[in-house]
Amino acid sequence: MPFKYFGKINFTPYTKVDKFADFLQEGKLMGTQCKKCGERYFPPRADCLKCMDDTFEWVEYSGKGTLNSFTTIYAAPKGFQDIAPYTLGVVDLKEGGRLIAWIKDIPKNEIKIGMPIKVVPRMFEEIPEIKLYYTIEKP
Amino acid sequence: MKVGIVGIGHGKFGNRTDATVQELAFEPFKQAIEDTKNLRRDDIDALVVGSVPEYHMQRSLPGVVAEYVGMNPKSTWLTEAACASGSAAIRTAYMAIKSGMHNIVAVIGVQKMRELSTGEILALMGRVGDVQWESIFGTTFPGYYALYANRHMYEFGTTKEQMALVAVKNHYYGSMNPLAFFQKEVALERVIGSDDVAFPVSVFDCCANADGAACVIMTNEKLAKKFNDTPIWFEGLGSASAEMSLLRRPNLVEIPSAIEAAKQAYAQAKVKPSDIQVADVHDCFTIAEIMAYENLGFCPKGKGGKFIEEKQSYIGGKIPVNVDGGLKAKGHPVGATGVSMTTEIVKQLRGEAGKRQVPGAEVGLTHNVGGIGQYTFVQILRR
Amino acid sequence: MKIIPKTKIMNELLLKFYQLVIFGGANYLKSEDYKMELKGKSAIVTGGSLGIGATIAVELARNGANVAINYRKHDTEAKEVAKNIEKLGRKCLIIKADVSNYNDAEDMFKKTIKEFGGLDILVCNAGINRDRVIWKMNENDWDSVINVNLKGYFIYNKLAAIHFKDKRSGKIVNITSINGLRGKFGQCNYSASKGGIISLTKALAKELGKFNVNVNAVAPGMVMTEMAKNIPSEFLQKAIDETVLGRIATTEDIANVVVFLCSDKARHITGEIIKVDGGQYI
Repeated sequence: MPFKYFGKINFTPYTKVDKFADFLQEGKLMGTQCKKCGERYFPPRADCLKCMDDTFEWVEYSGKGTLNSFTTIYAAPKGFQDIAPYTLGVVDLKEGGRLIAWIKDIPKNEIKIGMPIKVVPRMFEEIPEIKLYYTIEKP
Repeated sequence: MKVGIVGIGHGKFGNRTDATVQELAFEPFKQAIEDTKNLRRDDIDALVVGSVPEYHMQRSLPGVVAEYVGMNPKSTWLTEAACASGSAAIRTAYMAIKSGMHNIVAVIGVQKMRELSTGEILALMGRVGDVQWESIFGTTFPGYYALYANRHMYEFGTTKEQMALVAVKNHYYGSMNPLAFFQKEVALERVIGSDDVAFPVSVFDCCANADGAACVIMTNEKLAKKFNDTPIWFEGLGSASAEMSLLRRPNLVEIPSAIEAAKQAYAQAKVKPSDIQVADVHDCFTIAEIMAYENLGFCPKGKGGKFIEEKQSYIGGKIPVNVDGGLKAKGHPVGATGVSMTTEIVKQLRGEAGKRQVPGAEVGLTHNVGGIGQYTFVQILRR
Repeated sequence: MKIIPKTKIMNELLLKFYQLVIFGGANYLKSEDYKMELKGKSAIVTGGSLGIGATIAVELARNGANVAINYRKHDTEAKEVAKNIEKLGRKCLIIKADVSNYNDAEDMFKKTIKEFGGLDILVCNAGINRDRVIWKMNENDWDSVINVNLKGYFIYNKLAAIHFKDKRSGKIVNITSINGLRGKFGQCNYSASKGGIISLTKALAKELGKFNVNVNAVAPGMVMTEMAKNIPSEFLQKAIDETVLGRIATTEDIANVVVFLCSDKARHITGEIIKVDGGQYI
């Protein structure tokens, strides 16, 4: 599963962590762990920030976390105008690390900073192409 | 050996459909030379250009600018640090002079942003975070600052109204600045009532994309008095970086590179935040100015909203901030902003700011942030 | 008592000995372990009480799957199929359902998924024909054939898709006919329905591919079923002459290909129509 299938518009089709997309298609959220010093990363990275070792293994994340902040984008950039407005959330993951994703199916007035949420791997289902992403949903 | 500014120039910021990027750069360059005493163009021995190349069809800006302003065959190069490119250029010029490699250096910050459409600019600037994990979901520059704002409101109770007061102040002073993009004042109700661009940031919380250029001519202590009776000296320069991605910062309520850069500048200049008498900070969004008050130590952490509410950043308050209109009223031609801030502080310290003069200002500060905080440059200048 | 074999041949003989002694019965020797490619899988076969469907159901079970079949009125035959499947050591559900009825279908899926703990395979096989030349074909002849043969497949494919999509895996095999690939005199309704099944299969292969679901079709030619035994011999001979192999398919010939398509060996085949017609239509 090429990494370029990840996101609505993908700008980085090639990466050392491209297996992330394979796991995402299987419905799994995976981060990386440095083989040398054990430091964990989400979003995944191939080269350890701490000890600079370049060997790593994949570790599964539950997707559970809390909402750190959010915003609703009204003025959308090129390529995203068809889905505007959309709400982006920043999540602090339970096992450490953060991510940004769309907030799905939580009514505007129920979105509160600090609320517990779950990050769920998803696919754009109603288009012929394969496009993977993850969303922030109620746990 | 100190480094000082002996000439400044500033073009009109705005929708400059009347000029190419090199024609824009010519205006402040000419002004800066005329601002000096007896400096000839030929005396300048290097040109540093601060700009973000991705906005222009013209490739390799320093080359085309150097040729048009007549700097060939002198050394020239580009510095880029997103919205802090102008300050990065000044820092490089400082290093060149301090090391003795060059004696008189001109710095031109220039940018044409309006060659692209709004949707394209939003997409381009939305890629100033982590493109691999963030831009794929449609992040925008206002969106990033909205994430800061929302968290700041959550942790410290900052209100939309406090953010709006920043816009009101900056437009008030902008109306007195003939070089600013927007020359009209704006009422508080209009700011709060404006449409959301990225909740909770609304149209009037955002600075405008603009075209423009500014220039400073710098030299060493030995030559300065020859070219200007009142050189303005660099007392402290701070520069720091922070994680490109919000996802890897310690929190979303401050810009760590700004705190670090300010610390360095204060240390080198041997002053405290309360010694600053006039400042130009990076108000790309109103929340950014509130965070700047806190990161620069003008007020305690979390009290930025109160600072503007109490009018402490007006002339007459504790520390007048952005009394040239800031990015809000001037517009934000990204490469030019850092140099524009520097020219304003120089004017203030020389006593040449007219209606916007901070009486008796002797120590000034510029604070220029790149992108969503991955670079900050802080400069402290003294008369 | 532990005998340690000294040679490979001894090994084989001892294995066979143990099988005979412990399990007995010629039946068991037919279903060796290595054939259990569908072990642990659950399947629905429509029209599974008679003919091709019945054999498909039994062969799926022989390969390790639990099978649910529907019947409309042939409950005796359905019970017979269930008995054969249970003899193989697998579970079998028989459910009375009219394939062109959405509620019946929903019910069948619910019951099957509850009883077997899930669903992995759907084989749509139920079909009828009402042969007439078009100028003698009335609306009911048309509607009934389209409803059972095409709409019924839509209903079952849809319900399976909903389940497989969440599971992110599944196999669908739709039984069509060479008369869906070519036109058959007197079968404009049957040909239309079987042709429709082919396009339905291809469209669904595209929709469900991203969820790791394979959708294929098998197109039999003439097959020797109980029903076919009633066809006059000259028509049967005509069919044999059409083939290049000089024979008519047995139901096992069709079922074997269905089993293959439902196995992991066919994981990279989707949107395909496999003719099993002895070369009747090339």
